[in-house]
Amino acid sequence: MGLRAYVARRIVYSIILIWAVITINFLIFSMLPGDPIAQYVASLKGRIDKERYEQLRHDFGLDQPLHVRYLHSLISLLTFNFGREAGSGEPVLNVMREPMLNTIILMGTAEVLSIIVGILLGVIAAYKRDGIIDTVLTTGSLVTYSVPIFFVGWIVILIFAIQLHWFPAGGWIPDWPRGYVPTSFEYVLARLRYIVLPTFTLFLFTVGGWILLTRACVLETINEDYVVTARAKGLKERTVLYKHVLKNASLPLITSVALAFASLVGGAIITETLFSYNGMGLLTWHAIYPVPNLPLLQAIFYISALLVIIANFIADLLYGIIDPRIRYG
Amino acid sequence: MTLLSVQNLTTYYQIRRGFVRAVEDVSFSLERGEAMGLAGESGCGKTTVALSLLKILPPNGKIVRGKILLNDLDVVKLSESELREKIRWKAISLIFQGAMNAMNPMYKVEDQIVEAIRLHEKGVTKKEAKDRVAKLFEMVGLEPERAKGYPHEFSGGMRQRAMIAMALACNPSILIADEPSTALDVIVQAQVLKLLDELKRKLNLAIIMISHDLSIISETCDKLAIMYAGRIVEVGDVLSVFKKPLHPYTQGLIAAFPSIYAPKQEMSAIPGSPPNLLNPPKGCRFAPRCNYSMDICLKESPSLIEADKNHFVACHLVHK
Repeated sequence: MGLRAYVARRIVYSIILIWAVITINFLIFSMLPGDPIAQYVASLKGRIDKERYEQLRHDFGLDQPLHVRYLHSLISLLTFNFGREAGSGEPVLNVMREPMLNTIILMGTAEVLSIIVGILLGVIAAYKRDGIIDTVLTTGSLVTYSVPIFFVGWIVILIFAIQLHWFPAGGWIPDWPRGYVPTSFEYVLARLRYIVLPTFTLFLFTVGGWILLTRACVLETINEDYVVTARAKGLKERTVLYKHVLKNASLPLITSVALAFASLVGGAIITETLFSYNGMGLLTWHAIYPVPNLPLLQAIFYISALLVIIANFIADLLYGIIDPRIRYG
Repeated sequence: MTLLSVQNLTTYYQIRRGFVRAVEDVSFSLERGEAMGLAGESGCGKTTVALSLLKILPPNGKIVRGKILLNDLDVVKLSESELREKIRWKAISLIFQGAMNAMNPMYKVEDQIVEAIRLHEKGVTKKEAKDRVAKLFEMVGLEPERAKGYPHEFSGGMRQRAMIAMALACNPSILIADEPSTALDVIVQAQVLKLLDELKRKLNLAIIMISHDLSIISETCDKLAIMYAGRIVEVGDVLSVFKKPLHPYTQGLIAAFPSIYAPKQEMSAIPGSPPNLLNPPKGCRFAPRCNYSMDICLKESPSLIEADKNHFVACHLVHK
């Protein structure tokens, strides 16, 4: 089997998965007690009559039989038609636009930093295994990895925002006076000031995982016979490490990196809520509490699941390109 | 002139609880075109000797004493870059147990051999190196086109042949074969050993054959060194060591090997197990398991003496 057949098979798998995601997404929301109209009606507190309620249900197609609604849902989700929000009437996609961008800025920075630093430190830890550096890194990773993120967030806010006043404790953009248009430099700088603390919090929370994972992957390959062979051949230690160890050790890392980027768009609910950062996490939180916003939630779930599938697909592709055993296996 | 002369090689591994004295005072010599077997049970330090010769010990391993003279160049004293340029693969190359994982699964076999050639011979183009790989493949009995394949596409025997081809890529004078036929079935095993024997004659190659299988060594080697708990206890011509083993451990080892011609009998084994090398016995390391152990054996470590012509043994019994 060549690379082409491998890719074709992965594509078919992904399509099946997307279908499954849509179906489950539909089932969950149709099993929930009360449809979106019922919630809207409830929020009106009786200022609506039965006839109008039925009319609305009919308008939104909620009186149709299950299989028709399923088909409708399937087509809508496939075409990214998530409908309009119940309250404002704005398209759901528009509501998500800004938070998604904000989240990508925040989580993207945190994730990229944490992956780069984590992998570098992980390789060093594995290389100097059982030494002082390794012990410090491993212990430190375990600590930051196991402390709950809201606690890390509190400490970070307490020190850097409340005590030192270096960075704002929350928000995502300053309250510029009405009519004031900041220069782009000013704008970027202001945004940066706001993402420093949540980024740092997320970084602290995730970097330990990368260190530990990389260390384990490298240690698993560093004692393989082909590494000894590479050394015996007279290759420089650096070449041995980067060409012969890291390529083999990178396989499990690729999946993790891909999934980390996929989960990125879902946002960090706790961190974003803690820092009142207007991202997907905060949006999700507001779509659940206090008044559930089902169309929005459905869209968020669907996009998150879709990204996980895409990320997995990319990871599988990279696997196939990097590891000949998978390509032909 | 002696090609390789190892003198009092002593290698320790540092672990939390102290030093593992894996190899202690090991001395032997090797001529051009000569094959020496290094035998002993698992953990007796055979592989550590091999890794010491190339100085590719794990980070916690260290040569604490001794000389490794290769053409009068002391490998122990060489710098890392001199080792890379003059010793590793250029003078001494190494093949492993069954070669299951001795080649990197991520790269084509050809590329891995080309890597070795171009590392040691600057100025060789990729094309020339690939042609050499084809010739090497022919020499070890593989179809040259197969070089474009990945290691996982090779069978065990083919992989070992490819490994041998890679080991010979830079015309080394010594080939260390660490359990070259373990994990191969007997027929393939015989083929690989035959190949090594042919190459030895053809290229005047010196071979250090590490094995726990005495029958393999008796078939392919001229000389045999028996290791026990980090020390060489007996070394000499294969024939004289087999015919007239002097050390009680060698005797036990040979007796533990059933002969297909001898009448049916219980398998004999050496009772006990090798000592902990963190804290080996003070005298002869075999003394606790030895039937002939005397007072002196527990106090003094016997040194290697020439008992017969080209037959050395380290045992207090032979002093008498």
